[in-house]
Amino acid sequence: MSTLQTRERGRTATPPLAPPAKRDRGSRIRTALWTGLLALPAVAFFVVFAYLPMAGLVVAFKEFNIADGVFGSPWNGLDNFRYFFSSGEASRILLNTLLLNTLFLAATLAAGITLALMLNEIRGRFFKRVAQSTIFFPYFVSPIVISIILQVLLAGVGGSGGAVNDALGGLGLPTVSWYTEPGPWPWILTIVKVWQMGGYMSVIFLAAITAIPDEVYEAGMIDGASRAQMAWRITVPLLRPTAAVLLVLGVGRIFYGDFGTIYAIVGDNGTLFPTTDVIDTYVFRALRELGDFGTTAAVGLFQSVVGFVLVVTAVLIQRRYAKESSIL
Amino acid sequence: MSISRRRLLAAGGGLSIAALLGAAGCGDDSSDGSGGRTLKLLLPGDAPKESWDTVLAEVNKRLKADLGFTIDPQFIAWANYGNQALLKFTAGESFDTALQARWLNMTQLVASKSLVPVDALLASGKYKNLSDNLDPKLIELNKWSGKLYGIPQVNSAARLHHFCMRQDLAEKLGFSAITDFQTLERFLYAVKQKEKGVTPLAVSSNMPDLLIANTPIGWLNEYSWENPNQSGQAFTGNSIPFFMAADAKATGSARPVPFWEAPGILDALRAVRRYYQDGLINHDALNVDSNTLRSQFEAGRYATRWAMTDGLSSQSAAPLAKAVPGATLANIMPLRGGLTAKPNQTFQADNFVVLNVKGQSNEQAMQLEDWVSIKANHDLIQYGIEGTDWKPAGDDKYEAITSYSTFPGYALSWRAKLERKLSTISQTEDEIFTWAQNYDNFTVDPFASFVPDPEPVKRENAQVTAAMTQYGNPLFIGAVDVDKGLDSLKKAVEKAGLAKLQTEMEKQANEYLKG
Repeated sequence: MSTLQTRERGRTATPPLAPPAKRDRGSRIRTALWTGLLALPAVAFFVVFAYLPMAGLVVAFKEFNIADGVFGSPWNGLDNFRYFFSSGEASRILLNTLLLNTLFLAATLAAGITLALMLNEIRGRFFKRVAQSTIFFPYFVSPIVISIILQVLLAGVGGSGGAVNDALGGLGLPTVSWYTEPGPWPWILTIVKVWQMGGYMSVIFLAAITAIPDEVYEAGMIDGASRAQMAWRITVPLLRPTAAVLLVLGVGRIFYGDFGTIYAIVGDNGTLFPTTDVIDTYVFRALRELGDFGTTAAVGLFQSVVGFVLVVTAVLIQRRYAKESSIL
Repeated sequence: MSISRRRLLAAGGGLSIAALLGAAGCGDDSSDGSGGRTLKLLLPGDAPKESWDTVLAEVNKRLKADLGFTIDPQFIAWANYGNQALLKFTAGESFDTALQARWLNMTQLVASKSLVPVDALLASGKYKNLSDNLDPKLIELNKWSGKLYGIPQVNSAARLHHFCMRQDLAEKLGFSAITDFQTLERFLYAVKQKEKGVTPLAVSSNMPDLLIANTPIGWLNEYSWENPNQSGQAFTGNSIPFFMAADAKATGSARPVPFWEAPGILDALRAVRRYYQDGLINHDALNVDSNTLRSQFEAGRYATRWAMTDGLSSQSAAPLAKAVPGATLANIMPLRGGLTAKPNQTFQADNFVVLNVKGQSNEQAMQLEDWVSIKANHDLIQYGIEGTDWKPAGDDKYEAITSYSTFPGYALSWRAKLERKLSTISQTEDEIFTWAQNYDNFTVDPFASFVPDPEPVKRENAQVTAAMTQYGNPLFIGAVDVDKGLDSLKKAVEKAGLAKLQTEMEKQANEYLKG
């Protein structure tokens, strides 16, 4: 059966809508007006905080100076974009940004699904609630606190100790000077992200699991499926739409370097930059040193445009291969 | 009671309008509520934990009576101060004064005409208390292109980075006085070998260049201990330091070289690498901030830490003695010959109170600076309520009762002639602080009032600064191999525009030498 036929069948199968009740025209206009008024705060919010600031993007093409202001500063073409791409660091920074965010996205999605499946299998209601709250808690922990916890674990006071090194020493393994070795940091940061976001993601997936009708599982039981088979053959496939939406949202932000976590943990430690420096941390340093708003705006615009292209691409791919879960 | 859909919508719409009108009504209020003006000041750090409200209320009571206005200081955390203060200037906010400095955004703010030059205001004769407390040399040497762009906040004539160390440990290990580099090195190794749990040297993430490439003296730069007369300049705070020719004044040619070409630097880099590998320097130096390090020092975890010639490092004595009974402090100036060495000095202030061109009243901002230059007012804002927060100890010292006395005077009210010393100041810090207050104890640097303008090389300077953070800082603290690290740094800064920076620095410095 062709797609068209399926669509046609779907259309004919849908019961016709009841004709709208006749309403007074004035009443409808009044309702529309009040509804519009009700939406006004949200519209005003987005206009003020999302759309009006877009005018500031003009700074990306200007030699910005404070005295002349945003619109009075002279134009400088693409100079602000050249700053970033002529630094010689652009390729490494772009690669780090993509690699780290892909790792974060894949790991947090996988952790979220796994944790949700595990939580779903817990029968004791009290224990389930406690476990859920416990794994959700790291979501509220500030990146600064995370950086302190990490320092205690990896370095200790003075940077030559730490619980991890103590454990390595106990096992007869050589200790590592974690804060001068760039190699392990993509994995350390990924572990931190999973710890931080795994619980949060699992709640979203748990909500999706609760929406799966009981009849589907009952059918599975009748067919003689074990719990593991039901999880693998029923729950996981039915979580695909939720995972797809989260993936698309994540892909849209893949060019944003999770500045808060990375900067709080790595700071200005240059020895770790080869594997941890991302667009946001690089630009933040440039801004902090010189207050160069033009460059910052240029890189921000670059990130947004690439993010937009990625979202559109991801949605189109999703529509092509999993139309039932497409957000468009 | 059920509510009809229409009523619900009407209520929602009404609330929306009320919220919008309410938001629109939130405007800037610069009145103190009694008809007088309130000056808005930007200050870095946190408000003092104790007594701040009481002291501020008393300050405002007196200000209102004396001058007819009050103040509303806004504290911004140090970590965000540079960015937020700059954003407030950029956004055209109408605050009146702010702390600024070359190592913050002052160069950019001067270039963009965001600051009010204060020369003419000072010369008007209306602010006699302020003028009387600013040394003419201080004003002369802090002018940029002939103009003074802020009130220098200093409590001494010269500012030199040096060490604060555990004197009890030094005596225990047989080092009663440290006056040369070799003795210091032996002391650091002795601490490492004999004092378990104590790291010899505390280095924080914002000070790696102070160890080696700072002029006139670097802590761990033996050459500069012996020759404290090197001149150095950088376009901005964390950019690459250029060292000037020693005979620049005589020849009129600055001939700036990147720091690694200056005498003694390579030896110092190799020595620091050895110290790092031998565990004399904390291995988390690139991550740990200065506040954390200070608290660890006060807990007895370190033998030496940073100090400045402002008489404040002895504030650590009381908490340290509480954590480690019997612990005492002493300060070491990294100069062979001690305080007779006459090191170079630019006498340029580290901090300034600047006037915002968008401020409501530059006159009142200057009146405030004049008002805090009167001893009674200065004592109040600086040390708190007499009898509650502090007690006088002689004419020039005070005994701290509460922690209020850590008020950031450098951001508002430091006046060298009015400052009191802590009654518990260590003998060595007292000597150094007193020494630093006399201009005659120093050699005036040939580039004393030279402030390079980064505008012509803005972009290259930004990229070089980024490269210095990545490759320079690890090199300065010894975290990477010297040859490999220096090679990486050279490649990065050359690609970023080192040659252009060097040429521009030479051009500007030579022009300055011509006068």
